[in-house]
Amino acid sequence: MLDFLEKLFSRDDSSSRQKANDRLRLVLTHDRLGTSEKLMETLKEEIINVIMSHVEVDGKPEVNIIKEGRRSALDISIPLKGR
Amino acid sequence: MEKNSEGQVIVVTSGKGGVGKTTTVANVSSALARLGYKVVVMDLDIGLKKLDLVLGLENRVIYDIVQVIEGECTLKQALVKDKRFPHLFMLPAAQTRNKDEITPEQVKQLCKQLQEEFEYVFIDCPAGIEQGFRNAIAAANSAIVVTNPEVSAVRDADRIIGMLESNNFKDIKLVINRLQNDMVEAGDMLSINDLTEHLCIDLLGVVPEDKNVVISTNRGEPIILNEKADASPAFNNIARRITGEEVEFLTFEDPSFWHKLKRSLFPGR
Ligand SMILES: Nc1ncnc2c1ncn2[C@@H]1O[C@H](COP(=O)(O)OP(=O)(O)OP(=O)(O)O)[C@@H](O)[C@H]1O
Ligand SMILES: [Mg+2]
Repeated sequence: MLDFLEKLFSRDDSSSRQKANDRLRLVLTHDRLGTSEKLMETLKEEIINVIMSHVEVDGKPEVNIIKEGRRSALDISIPLKGR
Repeated sequence: MEKNSEGQVIVVTSGKGGVGKTTTVANVSSALARLGYKVVVMDLDIGLKKLDLVLGLENRVIYDIVQVIEGECTLKQALVKDKRFPHLFMLPAAQTRNKDEITPEQVKQLCKQLQEEFEYVFIDCPAGIEQGFRNAIAAANSAIVVTNPEVSAVRDADRIIGMLESNNFKDIKLVINRLQNDMVEAGDMLSINDLTEHLCIDLLGVVPEDKNVVISTNRGEPIILNEKADASPAFNNIARRITGEEVEFLTFEDPSFWHKLKRSLFPGR
């Protein structure tokens, strides 16, 4: 019984199930976008460049891919310089 | 049985081959027929048909779906009646033809006719995402995606769900087949939760890994006829949920869970 509880509460990060979940998370995000990791990186960079060439930003704009259910979204955060 | 509204057309699909589409179609349709519904199964795995064998109806096939479409026989002549379940019929696939010899439009026409007579029309979809898949989804208004708790099967399932969504399917449900609870507990298999979280669709049922599936298939008998088999209640529950009945997801549909629990609670017995 103790064994059972231990298994229930310990999250073994090296288990093959955990590995499968991590790999699936990555691969599904990219499959759904229909694009490769490399293209995503280029996209991020270009978006940031476009923004920085038009407005004055405070710090570095962040572009991330976030998951909302079966959809992915680009989450863009741009800290603008105060006047 | 009286029937006044149009029947439901359900496509069973997966992307990856060999995950259990045909097994699911055979058993869920048998279970529904046993509950008294009028059910027809349409085998669209043209060129690689298996449904007739799994149902044990291979010796009764005379005509096939391509012959119906080409007008060599009527739809009624091609339907094979299952003697064990008086409400179950099968429209066989052609074995010596190609998947691209029929079109989505022709499948739609056939389904329209079948919907008038039957309450449930099941379509056994071939693996892949080519012409055979397009034919299979053309006439369906809901979809069952079958997957295994395994990365490659889940990836293909995700792709299929995406394609169904872009074809305006609103009713897409998941069947997880070949789950092994002991492996999940040991951290060596994706769990039910893992799968529904990745795929983000509603769960219709979970079928455990069960040697009896192979034995039943050898005999050409649906596994739901073997009350002792672990997979049997799983398929029955899926059938009942399809009719709209709320069936609890007890024990992950795995009777061995109860055996284990009983053993740990009452070790003496
Ligand atoms: N729950 C299960 N437990 C054990 N074996 C299973 C289970 N489900 C299916 N199988 C076995 O897996 C094999 C593939 O099953 P099935 O033919 O139903 O898959 P499929 O998705 O229709 O394949 P295909 O893509 O070739 O049409 C069969 O040999 C079947 O007996
Ligand atoms: Mg099949």
